Amino acid sequence: MSSERPVLVDADAMLGRHPRRAVGDGGVTAALLRMDRFGISEALVGHTMSWLHDPATGNRRLLELLAGQPRLSPCWVMLPDTCGEIGTPAAFVDAALASGVRAVRAYPADHGYDLGGADAAPVLDAVTEAGLPLLLDAAQISWPAVEAIATARPRLTIVVGEVGYRTLRQVAGVLARTDNVHLGLANLSSHCGLEWLAGRFGARRLVFGTGAPARDPAEAVTRLLWADLDDGTVAAIGAGNLRNLLCKESRAA
Amino acid sequence: MNPLLSALWARRPQRSLRIVDAHAHSGPYSLFFIPDAGPEGMIKVMDRCGVAHAVLSSHLAIQLDAATGNAATAAAVAHAPDRFTGYLTVNPWQDPLAELGKWGDDPRFGGIKLHPDLHDYPLTGKRYAPVWEFAQRTGCPVLTHTYDGSRYNDLGHVGEVATRHPRVVILAGHSGATPLGFDTAIEVAQRHPGVVLELCGSYNSGADVARMVREVGAGRVVFGSDFPFIDLRMSLGRVLFCDLSDDDRAAVLGGTMTDLLQWRGNAGRSRPGPFAESA
Repeated sequence: MSSERPVLVDADAMLGRHPRRAVGDGGVTAALLRMDRFGISEALVGHTMSWLHDPATGNRRLLELLAGQPRLSPCWVMLPDTCGEIGTPAAFVDAALASGVRAVRAYPADHGYDLGGADAAPVLDAVTEAGLPLLLDAAQISWPAVEAIATARPRLTIVVGEVGYRTLRQVAGVLARTDNVHLGLANLSSHCGLEWLAGRFGARRLVFGTGAPARDPAEAVTRLLWADLDDGTVAAIGAGNLRNLLCKESRAA
Repeated sequence: MNPLLSALWARRPQRSLRIVDAHAHSGPYSLFFIPDAGPEGMIKVMDRCGVAHAVLSSHLAIQLDAATGNAATAAAVAHAPDRFTGYLTVNPWQDPLAELGKWGDDPRFGGIKLHPDLHDYPLTGKRYAPVWEFAQRTGCPVLTHTYDGSRYNDLGHVGEVATRHPRVVILAGHSGATPLGFDTAIEVAQRHPGVVLELCGSYNSGADVARMVREVGAGRVVFGSDFPFIDLRMSLGRVLFCDLSDDDRAAVLGGTMTDLLQWRGNAGRSRPGPFAESA
């Protein structure tokens, strides 16, 4: 088909140790070597310390690790501001934008709050205003909650990863009723689901991501490259769609 | 770069070796929507990647009705006999002897499929006795679902039936399915020469695949995808990229399973697969 390799930009990668998987030291060098092995040009990365220890500490640690790493862009983890852990919503997004953070991830299930409730609303509003995409794993939130957040904030870009293979009935409904919900390719594993989703909702709703290192990047790379989609569509999913989302309306741009 | 990855990056089907998917299904499944779940849609994916053959059991057979479902499996194989071989599903609650009697000699079937978790019945239970008797007598391989910690098909159950039936080839579907399960599956396979590790699932990785091959040998590890339950390319990609020699990768992707399917007419003679050297 194609004479040139598709460019791949990973929207779903992580640094740091993992307590339940043998994924190595989680360092920058390992991440770059892994990207080279799988032909991935750039990656949007978070840190497991933000997820499984303390978001504020992990977010700071992430910036330290990514200094001077042009292929890696930071993704911070948000919290509601009810306890003052990450500063006021305005201070959080101001610091994020000033630090080159390109997206924000939320773990409402693991961090014990309701992303669609009143507690998280001020932070979500600030993230929306800043033009930062919101990344979520499907296990962290219900699809009705995703839809409610997306409908309440039509300018907020939401990317849901780790969709698996059991939820197309719910996913399709939410994609049909919203315009700002997107899906990541990490563990997007329904048989022919990628082609079905691209055909039904448009390829712009799909964003390449690996879920590395907990998930093997071979899955998403092989799924995309051997997809029954034309080269232009693969290029869009592989890199173009994410770049468009990251550039859109960012207050820092 | 190996020719498989060259083909992948060029977005063309691989043609360098014969890939056989040892764990496939077909048709709809009630718990979730599967696009294009029939044999035609499956062949389309196989052609896209360069997968030659798949061994399947219909979703109808494993989920609800073994008799009607086995007929559906046979029909899928008849539709494309060069692309598919069937697993005969035995549901312990739905007359195992009748199913084995009806289809046991039918060349469309190349293995037996057990799914103890779906049927709420332990792999070690007496109702499966006709399966082990048939497999022992013929050399027919038996693919069982496994899941670490399951009350019905934990790796301990696999070890127990392998002890009782040391001459039967048992494919441990999903190899326990979890990281802890992979460790246990390797240990069980090391203790039982008839146990073969099958690779499909949601939590496997290329590193796990390479470790399995190092620990038990490429002749006892087989690629499977579970498609169309899960997209075929997820599991295939792990094997494509993982750290294996070309010979080992070829064995895992198809060589070993091709040998295991050559049991008809071999009863009483040298058997392929794990027992080839000792038989």
